[in-house]
Amino acid sequence: MAFAQATKSKSVSQPKKATILNTFRRDYQLWLMILPAIICVIIFNYIPMYGIQLAFRKYDFTAGLTGGEFVGFQYFIQFFNSHLFWDLIRNTLLISITTIVVGFPAPIALALLVNQIRWKRGKRILQTTVYLPHFISIVVLVGLLNVMLSPNTGVLGLLLAKLGVEGNLLASVNAFIPIYVLSDVWQHVGWNSIIYLAALASVDPQLYDAAKIDGANRWQIIRNVEIPAIIPTIVILLILNMGTVISTGFEKIFLMQNSLNLPISEVIETYVYKTGIMSNQFSYAAAIGLFNTMINFMMLVVVNTIAKKVARISLW
Amino acid sequence: MKKKIVLFIFVGLLLFLAACSNDEASNEPEETEDGRVVLTGLITKHPLTKELKDMEWLEEVEKKAGVDIKWEEVTADWDQKKGAMLAGGDIPDIIVGPNAITDADFAQFPGLFENLKPLIEENGANIQAMFEQQPKTEILSTQSNGDIYGLSKYQRFWPDTATMQFINQQWLDNLGLEVPTNWDELFDVLMAFKEEDANGNGDPNDEIPMDFSPVGEGGFGYFQPTVLLGSTGMTITGGGGQGYFLEDGEVKNFFTDDRYKDLVSSLHKLYANGLISEEAFTQDYSQYQAVARGEGENAKVGYTFGWEKTDRFGLQVADQYVSFAPMKQSADYQGDVSWSYDYDNLNYGVNFVQMSSQTSNKEAAMRFINELYDPEVSLQVLFGSIGPNIEKTGDNAYKVLAPQDEEMDPGTWKWTSSWADNGPMYIADDLEVELPTDMQSVDEQQAPFKEVFETVDENDVFPGMMLKYSEEDNNKMTLVNTDFMNLAISKFGEWITSGGIDEQWDDYVKQVDQIGLPSNIEIIQSYYDDYKAQLD
Repeated sequence: MAFAQATKSKSVSQPKKATILNTFRRDYQLWLMILPAIICVIIFNYIPMYGIQLAFRKYDFTAGLTGGEFVGFQYFIQFFNSHLFWDLIRNTLLISITTIVVGFPAPIALALLVNQIRWKRGKRILQTTVYLPHFISIVVLVGLLNVMLSPNTGVLGLLLAKLGVEGNLLASVNAFIPIYVLSDVWQHVGWNSIIYLAALASVDPQLYDAAKIDGANRWQIIRNVEIPAIIPTIVILLILNMGTVISTGFEKIFLMQNSLNLPISEVIETYVYKTGIMSNQFSYAAAIGLFNTMINFMMLVVVNTIAKKVARISLW
Repeated sequence: MKKKIVLFIFVGLLLFLAACSNDEASNEPEETEDGRVVLTGLITKHPLTKELKDMEWLEEVEKKAGVDIKWEEVTADWDQKKGAMLAGGDIPDIIVGPNAITDADFAQFPGLFENLKPLIEENGANIQAMFEQQPKTEILSTQSNGDIYGLSKYQRFWPDTATMQFINQQWLDNLGLEVPTNWDELFDVLMAFKEEDANGNGDPNDEIPMDFSPVGEGGFGYFQPTVLLGSTGMTITGGGGQGYFLEDGEVKNFFTDDRYKDLVSSLHKLYANGLISEEAFTQDYSQYQAVARGEGENAKVGYTFGWEKTDRFGLQVADQYVSFAPMKQSADYQGDVSWSYDYDNLNYGVNFVQMSSQTSNKEAAMRFINELYDPEVSLQVLFGSIGPNIEKTGDNAYKVLAPQDEEMDPGTWKWTSSWADNGPMYIADDLEVELPTDMQSVDEQQAPFKEVFETVDENDVFPGMMLKYSEEDNNKMTLVNTDFMNLAISKFGEWITSGGIDEQWDDYVKQVDQIGLPSNIEIIQSYYDDYKAQLD
């Protein structure tokens, strides 16, 4: 049937090949509808890219972005030779990889779990409870962390002290990443699970029935029906996440920073802020930022290629 | 139909583009009905400070200068706003605020700000008077190329140091102890505070023997234990900053000095014995203030640093505390004792007022700025209007009045009524002023520190804020300092909380040298030598 339709429509429009011009003429209403979005992307995402050249020039206010003296890779070399270079790379990778390893599977597990709940009201209450923290602003969240983890007065601080975890966790180099990642998971797990729940909702009920008739238990249903159903979503989200692997959450890290956890909490983005914005080294900061973006871009391409080869799922 | 849609979209796009394009700002001088020049102004003020339109003195000054200023009042997030404003090149005619625009901004955005030097020569009698009577103010205002973009201030009444040390006398009395005179005695006293129920409330564990203000990642500031470096004879300024100090005219940095190592070791000894607040490194300043205010009559903190007793401990427990003279490093230490010398930082300030180079009527703007530096006006900038805040008791004599609201302390009254310390001012030395009670008590509490400063030589006081670096040197130093502070401040915290300074010290010094500290010291030394020559 489908085949017949295809051949039929093909025979009708046979003389015209699908060239770009043709698609414009044929679907101009669609193009018109998407035009505002295209304009926005060009204005806000592409035009500002000419600022990249700042990384190769000595910034001069009077001459504007494009006028400064061209210095080539000087600022990049300066960054590579910086004493903080390897520390920054290590901290950034450590924090973002831990975030992905711990934070990425959590919403999947939660979605599968929530999907098993048959009691509708309870399911709704649970879902709302877990996604609400998503709306807490980062400043408030870090404030909460400070209050709760305080070793003398905080609820969590006192509890952990009872369990034998001594000292001030906020000041500890070892505790920084766990606190950062776990609070991140707590905050976003509910929200991120929504997309998986949506994917699960689209699973054909016939598959469930068939599985049940075959005698599958809950665990087997999850393994053989539900997980395969959301794998495309998982892969796409993983690829997208890899594109930001080296962009840690600047605000949260910056707010959680103090003089004691600095050896682990100084990441590329906080360093860019300190040199670029606070000390007016615009060109240097632009170079570091560009370096950061290049790595992200490469990660995105690599992961996409792997996913395409292995699972035949990809962004492009 | 199709044509209509296309036309509709076309018109829409045109409107969109029209909205994007910039209206040409008119440079025509505007005037009010009574012939005053209309200018725009921006001030970064304290959140407590009342609206500018309610300040009587300001209204008078504007009238006298023949200007009418449309003020924009910024109380928060100035750093973020500033970047966008400067990069856009669209700035108000006059900008007021403590270092709101920095020397680095002048270097980064040349041509945006007016060189005030010729204008001062024509229309700036009050400013010239300040420059003559307080030569440091001229040095502070002048860039390395001789231009003047931002004007400094002279505030006169502020004391030699911003950081005093306080100890709880009542606790000492309860336990039969004396005020410590060296680090070893301090250790014993703090130990007693911790072990026994010093505040006498029945709970021997609620005392915090020692607390200090949180250390920022960019360097040291007021109310931090670096002031104890004075016990070794070192004079630091502004609480320590990035460690640069002066000894016999030679620029050094205490972060690689053995005396600093001694201090950190001894602080570690305190910390390891549970004598320093566990939250000293993670609390914010408001927590630091709140903890010391105790609970009711019950004081919580034994030994700490602050600006003034009631400010630090609140009215309830302030009476329990005394300020005391800087300690010696050890009982057998023979050398001089010093402290953080902050007189310049407290009484002078850089870049308090700037003018845009685009200002339509520069003479009028200069008249207004000059008027702010009139000594009588300056007094009102600091304490509030004559009438509600200040009483004129003689030709050159004034009395700062107590707050109208009886529950308010004089400090808060000052900050709510006027620009206070955030304003440009020149408080001439020949004004006779009866100060408010808070300033008087600062003076009394400072007595033990004054004695120390009598022996301090000018060649031992680093005039950090007086040195104006060229853009190139400034950039070079900033990059080194960012990396250097990253290492040094985190090591400072680590060594105090976990120890290990003896094993790591040599590697650390080597690393700091590699980062480039020696070249920074060299740069600063050459600027200092120039500054000295300028003064002579």
